[in-house]
Amino acid sequence: MPKFLRVFFWIAVSLLGALALATIALHRGEQINALWLVVAAVSTYAVGYRFYSSFISAKVLALDPLRATPAERLDNGRDFVPTNKWVVFGHHFAAIAGPGPLVGPVLAAQFGYLPGTLWIIAGAVLGGCVQDFVILLFSVRRDGKSLTEMAKSEIGPLGGVVAYVAVLSIIIILLGATALIVVNALKSSPWGTFTIAMTMPIAVLMGVYLRRIRPGKVLETSVLGFVLVLAAIFGGRWVSETPSWAAIFTLTAPTLAILIIVYGFAASSLPVWLLLAPRDYLSTFVKLGTISLLAVGIVALRPSLHMPPLTRFADGSGPVFAGTIFPFAFITIACGAVSGFHSLISSGTTPKLIRHEPETRFVGYGGMLAESMVAIMAMIAASVLQPGVYFAINSPAGIVGQAPEAAVTTIGSWGFPVTAAQMASLAHSVGEQTLFNRTGGAPAFAVGMAQIFSNTLGGQAVMALWYHFAIMFEALFILTILDAGTRVGRFMLQDALGHIWKPLGRTSWYPSILFTSAVIVAAWGNFLWQGIKDPLGGINSLWPLFGICNQLLATVALCVATTIIVKMGCAKTGRVKMGRVRYVLVTLVPLCGLVVVTFTASWHKILDPNPRIGFLAHARQLAAAGANPRLIFNDRLDAAVTGVLVVMVAMILIESSLECMRVISGRKSAAVKESPFVMTKLAMEEQA
Amino acid sequence: MKTIVCGADTLVRETLEARAGRASAGAIFAVIIGSFKVIVATLREIFDESAYQRFLDRSRLESSPHAYAIFQQETEQAKSQRPRCC
Repeated sequence: MPKFLRVFFWIAVSLLGALALATIALHRGEQINALWLVVAAVSTYAVGYRFYSSFISAKVLALDPLRATPAERLDNGRDFVPTNKWVVFGHHFAAIAGPGPLVGPVLAAQFGYLPGTLWIIAGAVLGGCVQDFVILLFSVRRDGKSLTEMAKSEIGPLGGVVAYVAVLSIIIILLGATALIVVNALKSSPWGTFTIAMTMPIAVLMGVYLRRIRPGKVLETSVLGFVLVLAAIFGGRWVSETPSWAAIFTLTAPTLAILIIVYGFAASSLPVWLLLAPRDYLSTFVKLGTISLLAVGIVALRPSLHMPPLTRFADGSGPVFAGTIFPFAFITIACGAVSGFHSLISSGTTPKLIRHEPETRFVGYGGMLAESMVAIMAMIAASVLQPGVYFAINSPAGIVGQAPEAAVTTIGSWGFPVTAAQMASLAHSVGEQTLFNRTGGAPAFAVGMAQIFSNTLGGQAVMALWYHFAIMFEALFILTILDAGTRVGRFMLQDALGHIWKPLGRTSWYPSILFTSAVIVAAWGNFLWQGIKDPLGGINSLWPLFGICNQLLATVALCVATTIIVKMGCAKTGRVKMGRVRYVLVTLVPLCGLVVVTFTASWHKILDPNPRIGFLAHARQLAAAGANPRLIFNDRLDAAVTGVLVVMVAMILIESSLECMRVISGRKSAAVKESPFVMTKLAMEEQA
Repeated sequence: MKTIVCGADTLVRETLEARAGRASAGAIFAVIIGSFKVIVATLREIFDESAYQRFLDRSRLESSPHAYAIFQQETEQAKSQRPRCC
């Protein structure tokens, strides 16, 4: 393409993006079309990818196409395999896309669609994509080392310990919070519970089929499993309409919680091939298909957003979770904007598959842009709902009242009219008994998704099927994370305990498996139990806690990246080149932003005098009311967990700053701990 | 004569256009086939079918329940330790 055409094209994309952003930011009083959000996001992502990631590649990281990657040098056909960049992209995206980018934006929609959308777009382009990209590249240059190992070697032993604790904490809190979302989605829902219950025998059947009948034919087995799951969704309708069966599958929140805890323990202790692997395949299959379907549905239907750009809950009095836009919108939406968890994937499997160093830009930066687009779709799904309906579904009984009449009166008094009859009709159309107080984000997302799907394909008659398809998709997704997360936590614990008593570190020793599985399940089970007993619905406490942990992990990742970039700037001359110092801003700016957000949010969650926000204030309120001591303990535990994590991350920040100052002042050698340069043969072979 | 020339011109033009059409259709077809192959390769990688094939090639085994059991045993630890993102 001639240069003037390219310039014209990028000016047009930039102007289109600016127009779309101005429209969503400045439009007031009338509904806007969801496509404005899509255009704003796609244009900004395109400009960000074309120019910003290109700048980072060339100037900051100096990607070297001649440098052999570990996939080439250490190719063993097992862990290290040079792989086509599109394949690695798909693999990486499948690993980073979880329920976070779906649930976070749905919850943050209580502020209106504007704050969340702007944060998703800006956070991804300037923070999340940068983090995923630089960590992936640094891991590639260190033979695929994990974040914990890089933190240890580049910052010091403290860095490694903090990264380890942060990872384990985030896994435990993530599992507790996501398990609560499943419980809230399935309680008193025989249709949903039956469908999800059926996925377990289906997974076992898939495991046996895969192992005994058609070894290795995973795609074929996944299609078979998917057909069986669809049959289970149809069967669920029959179950919900048959009183004797409906009674069996109508479960309360505590019963569901116990069943999920037992499931988590069993899945962690059973052989992988029997349950975990087939469920994982099935979940990935459904996930990729549903996200594609949602994208097609939004573009085909072009729905209007009923949610206003800003609601009155910007002042912090929101019913979904308490707290003002700053900092709470920024920690509620983590995975769609900046997610520390991604740094584990970027320093896990992905760096071992990268064929050429420059492809880290496409996989790391581009993969996060795709994830961010999923978050935009979730924001659209939540915002197509009438605000009254959105708040009726997402508000806990402790805020709006248990009875439908009380709930609609309260929600109406906020300026979002909704009637009990309207909610009853909606519940009936999606095959549920009630949609009131279904906190957690999943049911609201499912209703929004069902509206988009049913208006695109099948009409109102199939709304219930689409709703339960969406619930099945989310619950399957989350249960897969539960069993995989419990195993990862178990391995991490075994690794640490092995230093105290060697047999506990043996991953194949059954007593150790049972003991460590029980510890991990008890840890996240405690958070789950706390959530279902919380009069404020649980999500009010757990989701911000999870967001804080996730963003603290991102802080650790960006801290490691900043330290490495400082060392790279000083490596050649031994003294810092002032011209290169400005490149540190690429990671330093998002790092500072995250530090301000997470530390402010942590301060509020621990010490805010408002009992709906501050854990300690809530504990005092409960104590004054003579509440159950267990509830008081839970609040104090949450405050302690947040406090310990913040202190540890503060320590790593200090350690990293000192390391940077030692390097800049020349008191310490600026040697980066990269693998030695080896000339690539792959690039030459491919050219030949 | 003129008609013949015109006819020849037309024939040449039509032939060139047909070739160009075939070439562009061929290019589009190649892009579609290429994209399809990439999608299949991506799915095979995500769903570990490629990993199993590499295992069979590496260990010189035929696909069988026994070979698949060995493959799963070999990859179990790595698979279990692979975090699933939030």
